[in-house]
Amino acid sequence: MSDLQKAWAKSRLSSGMSPDAFDEREEEEDGYLTEMPEPTFEDDSSSASSASSTGTIIPSPSRNLFARPQGVPRGRTLQQIPWTTYFERELFLKTEDAPSSPTLHAYLISPVDKGPLFVMHHGAGSSGLSFAVVGSEIRKRQPSAGILSADARGHGSTTNPDSDKLDLSLATLSKDLLSVIKSTKEEMKWKELPSIILVGHSLGGAVVTELAMSGALGNALLGYVVLDVVEGSAMDALQSMQTYLSTRPNGFATLEAGIEWHVRSRTIRNSVSARTSVPALLSQDEVRTDSRPWKWRTDLASTQPFWENWFVGLSKKFLGARGGKLLLLAGTDRLDTELTIGQMQGKYALQVFPEAGHFIHEDLPEKTAVSLVDFHRRNDRSALVLPPKVSDLLRQGKKV
Amino acid sequence: MSDLDKAIAQLRACRPIPESQVRELCHKARELLIEEGNVVTVTAPVTICGDIHGQFHDLMELFRVGGDPPDTNYLFMGDFVDRGFYSLESFLLLLCLKVRYPDRMTLIRGNHESRQITTVYGFYDECLRKYGSANVWRYCCDVFDYLALGAIVLGASNTLSPPNDAVSRDVYVEEDIEIEVCNADGDVMSQFRRQPNDRKSPNGTAAKTGPPGSGASGSSGGSTGNSTGAVLCVHGGLSPLIDTVDKIRLLDRKQEVPHEGAMCDLLWSDPDEIDGWGLSPRGAGFLFGPDIVKVFNHRNDLSLIARAHQLVMEGFKEMFEASIVTVWSAPNYCYRCGNVAAVLELSEDNGEQILARSNGEFGRSDGGVARGVMMEGENGLKNGPARRYRVFQAAPQDSRGMPAKKPVADYFL
Repeated sequence: MSDLQKAWAKSRLSSGMSPDAFDEREEEEDGYLTEMPEPTFEDDSSSASSASSTGTIIPSPSRNLFARPQGVPRGRTLQQIPWTTYFERELFLKTEDAPSSPTLHAYLISPVDKGPLFVMHHGAGSSGLSFAVVGSEIRKRQPSAGILSADARGHGSTTNPDSDKLDLSLATLSKDLLSVIKSTKEEMKWKELPSIILVGHSLGGAVVTELAMSGALGNALLGYVVLDVVEGSAMDALQSMQTYLSTRPNGFATLEAGIEWHVRSRTIRNSVSARTSVPALLSQDEVRTDSRPWKWRTDLASTQPFWENWFVGLSKKFLGARGGKLLLLAGTDRLDTELTIGQMQGKYALQVFPEAGHFIHEDLPEKTAVSLVDFHRRNDRSALVLPPKVSDLLRQGKKV
Repeated sequence: MSDLDKAIAQLRACRPIPESQVRELCHKARELLIEEGNVVTVTAPVTICGDIHGQFHDLMELFRVGGDPPDTNYLFMGDFVDRGFYSLESFLLLLCLKVRYPDRMTLIRGNHESRQITTVYGFYDECLRKYGSANVWRYCCDVFDYLALGAIVLGASNTLSPPNDAVSRDVYVEEDIEIEVCNADGDVMSQFRRQPNDRKSPNGTAAKTGPPGSGASGSSGGSTGNSTGAVLCVHGGLSPLIDTVDKIRLLDRKQEVPHEGAMCDLLWSDPDEIDGWGLSPRGAGFLFGPDIVKVFNHRNDLSLIARAHQLVMEGFKEMFEASIVTVWSAPNYCYRCGNVAAVLELSEDNGEQILARSNGEFGRSDGGVARGVMMEGENGLKNGPARRYRVFQAAPQDSRGMPAKKPVADYFL
């Protein structure tokens, strides 16, 4: 290190920046590949906590069986990428209250030390793996952060015991999310809840807002993030929804065909994300009579009775609940009147990603992760430090 | 009729001017703005306006209500563009007026006068739609970088001049009105008299004796001047990095609005009922409480901070014992929020109330001694300038130039 560098580093340190933060900065500047994410957990963090849990697959970098296939041109392969590339473990959480309640399934990367926990809830028809790629991007930028991504009932690997009566009401879903958080704490033997940032996409946005509004997480909740859903425009789109659903294929010949459809139809505009999340959306018919045995796990059309219930009052709750608020929108801003007023009164942060589709976090995992990490940094209660005064900076000979 | 006057006439008719003219205009504007400091000094009378957001027809209504430029001096506190459908015409008209009447028109920068923000909230798309290329957007953004960050209004009177010709001046002086609210036709809707003990500033004043807001010191040979302090105008609010107005003058403003730092805070912060400084939910800038405003105003010999940036349904909102006011000038914001708009009028200090003005320059704050003497003796000492708010509603819209309705999201579950 040259003297100049040393002096610079020293001044950075003396101005209150920890060496860790310093390293983070450096990492941020590195380019990252969108094509194939690397496993993001370190050996020490995963092994330390793995002892307490059974039935958990613990991948390690040395067992990275699914790394980038050599020689395959970028962007061409549509092979699935397994969840073990991204997450430390999966959890099957039994809720006690009723025998008929489902075993809730969630993916986890544990937070390190005092790191925050990003709790993710996907949208209708999606799954917890929707947040796999963005989760690993968060970890690249904030290695102490944990990611807990749940499958809602009737979605992913959370099976519904009584599939005839699938209860997808907002109250039930937010109760499920709360019990995922609480059971994870038990399972992982955390002494207390880490500080939590709730992140919900679409229907998930309504779920996390409902949970934030309930206050059930108390002081652990730092803030909540809603990805691409606004009450006004969602209600407007309700009528065309069935039409849209009818244009989707009923099934696919292979898993790869399903991935290809998502990429080609630009439903998911990032092939790595599609290869990660689509496999959890489809399941193979046991009776292989059909030429297209891979069917949707969740029958979205049948969830129609719940649609209004999900979105009515969302804007009011979003503005009203306690905690930092971030709304990420894709394409153009589709704010309804209530949120337009709220935004211009400075009640929440809004970011629009014009180039993204509805699945913002899958289309643009890096940018979404940057926003989420930044959102946490701003809302981290332990660290509200005011910047130095201009006069002090000038005294130190700095440019202002 | 000069080219500039022609351009003004064309823009007033809500017709964009050719790209080549925009280029020339922006070039001239830049030459003009580069000479301005970060904090422009403006003398009363002046009409202070908040966000416009491309609502051209409402800007015309504002001029009807507040008086046409150049007969009325205007100070616009930023956010000319985005959201509305006529950002281009609105901004170019204001810019033309600025170039044509530089001393009667003051434009300061809002957080929407930024490349990053305009690409998301409409101005960029509008330029693309109306010119087929991003050149005009680029010229405008170059101007944005040169806009001042704030303004200091000096010489505001502590009495109002009549709101319309029908009222005689004598009534006003006697009635001793501090705040008056008028409707769009100039009729008085409500008045608030000055309270005898309504002192906004702490009793002891700063030892500085230079012009308010300058932080300068030095002897000022006994000019008592107007007893109102200066009014600081800024788009957003205060910054924890800035303790005096002079610190604003030291910033290097000729750049895109940064994500953090003093310049960002001035354009992004909001006042709030909190102690000290707080986190802004907007994701940029800070929240600041009454104590911060009071200390800042006291230290800088300000009687009021005027700012915009936040939608207020009533058009204006005074906070913290009238030490800061939010002025919002976009009625029915986004064509659907149902709010009214307002402008803030500060009258000229016409000398009737003032004992001596040795050098014709406004407002030597006279230090603690002289002020203290006046407080005991006269009943004439008033700290805040008299303020008239003209409240107005949205102008009828024509749908010309409105883009097609945004497509409904096809998938949202």
